Amino acid sequence: MDERARTESIRSLPQGDPEEEQQPPGLYERLIAWLAGLPWWAIILGVVAVAVLYSMLTSEAYRRVIQALTDNPQTSTEDLFEVVQVVGEPTMIVGAYVGETQDSVTTVVDILLDKVIDRKEVTHTGFILAEDPASLTIRTESGLFTIPKDRLVEEKREPAPGGERITLTYVDRVTVSGILTKRTDKTYTVRTVNEVAETFDKARILSRTVIPCEQVTAANCVEGEYVTIERQGEIISGTLNTLSNTNISLILEDGSQREMRRSDVDRFDVPTLTVAVNARSANVPVVPGGEVRIAFVQGTDIMEALEELDSLEDVPVPLRYAEGQARVALVGYPTLDEALTATGAGEVNGLLYLDDGPERLAVQSWVEEHPDAGVVLPTPPRECQKGCQVSVKLKDDAITGRVAEETDDTIRIVTTEAEYLEIDRAKVLENRRMEPGVCALNNLRGCNAGIFLTLRVTFQAYALALLLGLIFGLMRVQTNPVLYAFSTLYVEVVRGIPLLVILLYAGFVVSPELRDNVGISLNDEQEAVIGLAFGYGAFIAEIFRAGIQSISRGQMEAARSLGMSYPQAMRYVVLPQAVRVVLPPLGNDFIAMLKDSALISVLALPDLLQLGRLYVSRTFRAFEGYNTVAILYLLMTLFLSMLVRIIERRTRLPH
Amino acid sequence: MARGTEPIIQIRNVHKRFHTLRGTVHALRGVSLDVMPGEVVVIVGPSGSGKSTLLRCINRLETIDSGSIVVDGIPLKGARNINKVRAEVGMVFQSFNLFPDRTALGNIVLAQRVVRKRKKAEAIAKAHDLLAKVGIPEKADAYPGQLSGGQQQRVAIARALAMDPKIMLFDEPTSALDPEMIKEVLDVMLALAKEGMTMVVVSHEMGFARAAADRAVFMDGGMIIEEGTPDVLFSNPSHERTKLFLSKIL
Repeated sequence: MDERARTESIRSLPQGDPEEEQQPPGLYERLIAWLAGLPWWAIILGVVAVAVLYSMLTSEAYRRVIQALTDNPQTSTEDLFEVVQVVGEPTMIVGAYVGETQDSVTTVVDILLDKVIDRKEVTHTGFILAEDPASLTIRTESGLFTIPKDRLVEEKREPAPGGERITLTYVDRVTVSGILTKRTDKTYTVRTVNEVAETFDKARILSRTVIPCEQVTAANCVEGEYVTIERQGEIISGTLNTLSNTNISLILEDGSQREMRRSDVDRFDVPTLTVAVNARSANVPVVPGGEVRIAFVQGTDIMEALEELDSLEDVPVPLRYAEGQARVALVGYPTLDEALTATGAGEVNGLLYLDDGPERLAVQSWVEEHPDAGVVLPTPPRECQKGCQVSVKLKDDAITGRVAEETDDTIRIVTTEAEYLEIDRAKVLENRRMEPGVCALNNLRGCNAGIFLTLRVTFQAYALALLLGLIFGLMRVQTNPVLYAFSTLYVEVVRGIPLLVILLYAGFVVSPELRDNVGISLNDEQEAVIGLAFGYGAFIAEIFRAGIQSISRGQMEAARSLGMSYPQAMRYVVLPQAVRVVLPPLGNDFIAMLKDSALISVLALPDLLQLGRLYVSRTFRAFEGYNTVAILYLLMTLFLSMLVRIIERRTRLPH
Repeated sequence: MARGTEPIIQIRNVHKRFHTLRGTVHALRGVSLDVMPGEVVVIVGPSGSGKSTLLRCINRLETIDSGSIVVDGIPLKGARNINKVRAEVGMVFQSFNLFPDRTALGNIVLAQRVVRKRKKAEAIAKAHDLLAKVGIPEKADAYPGQLSGGQQQRVAIARALAMDPKIMLFDEPTSALDPEMIKEVLDVMLALAKEGMTMVVVSHEMGFARAAADRAVFMDGGMIIEEGTPDVLFSNPSHERTKLFLSKIL
């Protein structure tokens, strides 16, 4: 590497004669030459593509869709993987032999030579495993040790004063489970306890008490960092989703839902609708073609009040009118008093009053105070049940913990610290991976939805389809009638069924049957992979068959005449040539499969298209949503067809 | 030329029929032929006379319907390990049939590694020796597409020789070549014949036949019409059909 760089630089040194300069053209010149070789429409297309991409990436609306479609990746995370690791290493115990049963040896130990860095590990696991019947029991200064015989690595006895000295080396095991956060060549770092933290506005702080370090159990305590904060209850505003006797649930501005217990709520302001009507017209229905006059207090949201009125089970008679049968006149009054007086005087048929404040029952009390005003309440005041804008104030509380972050406006308090365990990789006996962690740029494994799911399912399904296709393609060129008929049946049947039907079949017929009758349970993703692979296997089988048949018979004969068996000739002579022939159609099928993978959303998988649809149904931004879905598919397929072309060029034979 | 006493190829009353959609073609009608070790036999005859079929039957690229073929003491019919027999019988085709995705060297090495299980270095050394023997040592890294017809056929011969065969079969090795390339291939074959290789050659190259062949065989209609030394067969044939055929090609 270094050597080459040096010779390069020597060669490119000016040789004195300027005419001799025959340097290869630079990147810039090559780019210009390449651009000049393109047809005019390709240049226009390229410019348009760049412009579209640029405007998409700089537009907030599109950036949000792209985020949604790519599983919302964070830039970095420490939640790499959920792991369960069994850790252990040989430990040596030297002691005096005391006695032996069929299952155990008892020893008085005077020196404990353990090479495990953390001594707790040894004793701890040693005690747990002592219950095993096939074990050795050893007494040390600190007590009896029981070592399972199956963990024994080495056992050495020698006579010594006071009995027989015994040296035992055994493997010690500890199980660690948690989140893998860091991995180096030598160690794993596992977070065994998660941090629990809360961020809130500093405006809510009522009092702040510093806890001195003596009262804190944490290992590395910094004076003043640990505090108890009494704070005002949080005020949460949003759209009312449900209102029950025990719970309130709101939909917040960002679309998330927040559920609160009513016992935690200090105060909540839900608009209350009061309907008052003129006592004389209380039971007089509106004549068709007549007029309904409704009073309201200026400044209240009359449209919401009308909506709320419509949602009443039984709209009071004078205010009940059929669409188009009566004229509705809304009459605003500056104060409630005037509006109610007007109602009593018959200027209007009724009054709507909507309030979420302390004055919510003002109409009720006015009517009680003025029994002769001619105003009646046909239905009791009613709280909005769903859909109205409300704000909830929670009760004041206190929080104790470490101050993790403090800005001018907010403070972050960690109530439970995360605990990390560094484990020597060499000591890990078993490393079981459970669930991948958070989706982030440094942990793409954790990205399980959108474009990542689409790509992963496509790659897996294609690999499986290639295998199926190769097997059935080879069967299709056999003279054995059973193999030929079987593979032909597969190809004809599968080619004749729409891929969507195959996917539904895999998901809702094959998979439940397998689970109930064989005991193999497949997840949605595996169902999708199997369905896609099975459907595409037929096409790929035909591609392989055509490829194999396109290789002249002479090749097989030449190989056989050299003494190769049929499988050898296939493997070394025919297939390598056939693969070259079928690369372009295989590439086409891969691109087609990438597109057809959009069908897997019928199996409730959150693939690219499905996330796009969810985004659109949530935001009603169909234009941006589906544009982005289309462009992401297009980008992937364009990239792949470029890749296929490069592979094709690389595998071309020299002439 | 050393001669054994037992024939290395024994063909007895062989019949072969091809079944096609248009009917049955009786390609070989009771052919019998013995080839002694070290003997060079040239088979001539008009097209469709069954020469190539006979050759292909000798290493069982075609199966026979009746009769028997014994190669190097092994009866081909029902032979358990036909690949073993084939490895002892090299074959050179009219259309070369080189593997186009492998270099000349790769063509010669492949079967040595796969069938003979030779070490890589050994196989490559052998391939270089053989390329030198057929006169194109400099073409080791060329792909078949980069070689002329004559060079390709010489690689094909080297490929067959790499298996150390006891018998070489040539199926019209020069028919697909331009006239100026024919000589380079024939020279290689001539040299091979001089070394004492047992050869069965289907060819119309009279010059080669006279120079190298111990025996010439004339076939027509799936039967051997006449056989003898090349000189006698070509200059003084006893059969009418032989005369007629020779008058057409000479």
